[in-house]
Amino acid sequence: MSNNFLSIKLKEGYRFLFHQQWPDMVGGVLLGLLSILIVMWSRPWGIVGGMRNWADWIFYGVGIIPEAPQHPLFFSSSIMDIGLLLGAFAAALMAKEFAVRPSPKLEIVKGFGGGILMGVGSSLAMGCNVGAFYTTLINLSANGFTMMAGLIVGAYIGLRYLLWELENFPAPPTAMVKPKQNVNAFDLKAVQPYAGGAVLLGMLIAAYIYNRYDYTEIGGLLLFGMFFGIVLQRCRFCFVRAFRDPFMTGDAAVVKAVVVSILIGTAGVAIMKWNGFRPASLYVVPTFGWGSLLGGMIFGIGMVIAGGCGSGTLWRAAEGHLKLWVALISFAFTNSLMNVFLVSTGLKAKLGLAVFLPDVFGWQGALGVIALVLFLWYFVLSWNEETNKFTVGI
Amino acid sequence: MDDIKPNETLDARGLSCPMPLLKTKKAIEKLASGQILEILGTDPGTANDLPKWAKRSGHDFLGEKTDEGFNRYFLRKK
Repeated sequence: MSNNFLSIKLKEGYRFLFHQQWPDMVGGVLLGLLSILIVMWSRPWGIVGGMRNWADWIFYGVGIIPEAPQHPLFFSSSIMDIGLLLGAFAAALMAKEFAVRPSPKLEIVKGFGGGILMGVGSSLAMGCNVGAFYTTLINLSANGFTMMAGLIVGAYIGLRYLLWELENFPAPPTAMVKPKQNVNAFDLKAVQPYAGGAVLLGMLIAAYIYNRYDYTEIGGLLLFGMFFGIVLQRCRFCFVRAFRDPFMTGDAAVVKAVVVSILIGTAGVAIMKWNGFRPASLYVVPTFGWGSLLGGMIFGIGMVIAGGCGSGTLWRAAEGHLKLWVALISFAFTNSLMNVFLVSTGLKAKLGLAVFLPDVFGWQGALGVIALVLFLWYFVLSWNEETNKFTVGI
Repeated sequence: MDDIKPNETLDARGLSCPMPLLKTKKAIEKLASGQILEILGTDPGTANDLPKWAKRSGHDFLGEKTDEGFNRYFLRKK
């Protein structure tokens, strides 16, 4: 009887977590909380460093990069990305939403091109939507504002391109999926939740092994990546939407979720920095200026064309979209090469200033300025939600 | 759901966000008021995006049906 009760409750819990998409606002709140906890544990959340690390290894192998990069299994940013990929993969499996999803040729080309633009943009801005906008604002760094301005412009240009493409490349036949003939074939969907559970269990075991060998912090970051991946996939949380959708459909729901998320994260990290638990300079990125303005714009164009930013590309790739795998690869390789270029020309030191907002406005002022800018952003876009003044028709 | 007779079918299989929605937006403009558009899709996001967009734009989301490896969505133009 109690056994029966347990199994009913477990099934209820499974349905609650994996049968429907979680609301945007749940994603915003959870990402904000995770962003605080991960700083308490080790370091702020980032995406691009790990992707570059993987590409650096390939370029090291062919001799373009002289010194061996850090080991991907012991490099914090890489481990967070691996955790995110596997976490999103497990969540997609649990929800029976994983499938190898081929795309038409034009889409693959767009994934490739969008990835290149994101690679260039993220090297100029020293981060993606997460590392140069979301996480830097949470860490009270001024470059988050210039990145935001660049992203808004870039997303608009990217959307203009998509609309132009729709007019000029009439839909090619996209009949990619042929109906299955064999009805009695072994149903892969049915075993997906078990495979997802196995992936999650494997990650817990991996964290345990890290801990056994005194790499507890790295093991913890793997689990943080896993939680970020699960939340992103279950909410289909997409930073691209915050910048693109106001222009595309007028919808500002994700803008609201991102604003709430940043405010939660900012409150937590400000408390840690004010108390001296973490250095004030943590994640104050020296791209306040043209680096993040231009980088943000190029990144914004790329993310709309590819259909995923840094985090969005990772969780969608984990769900099986081949277009996003192509984007992930061209993003990582381009970022790595651009970084070599910026370092060797000395440009990397000239991308902009490192401005810690409390140094300029004081602590209260800095929090006020962040809240004010985010509130204005949401206010204007929720006004647009009613009036569609900025929404681009087809 | 089985007796819905679509006037037009849009094949958005293999496309990922935001292409299915953009193509739907374009395809529905060619229909007359009251006509039904069927959309075939493989992106899991479409199941949420289409009803949400239909609500915003005033079209009637009639529902979805699971087929072999893809979904069918039905919209009635306002």
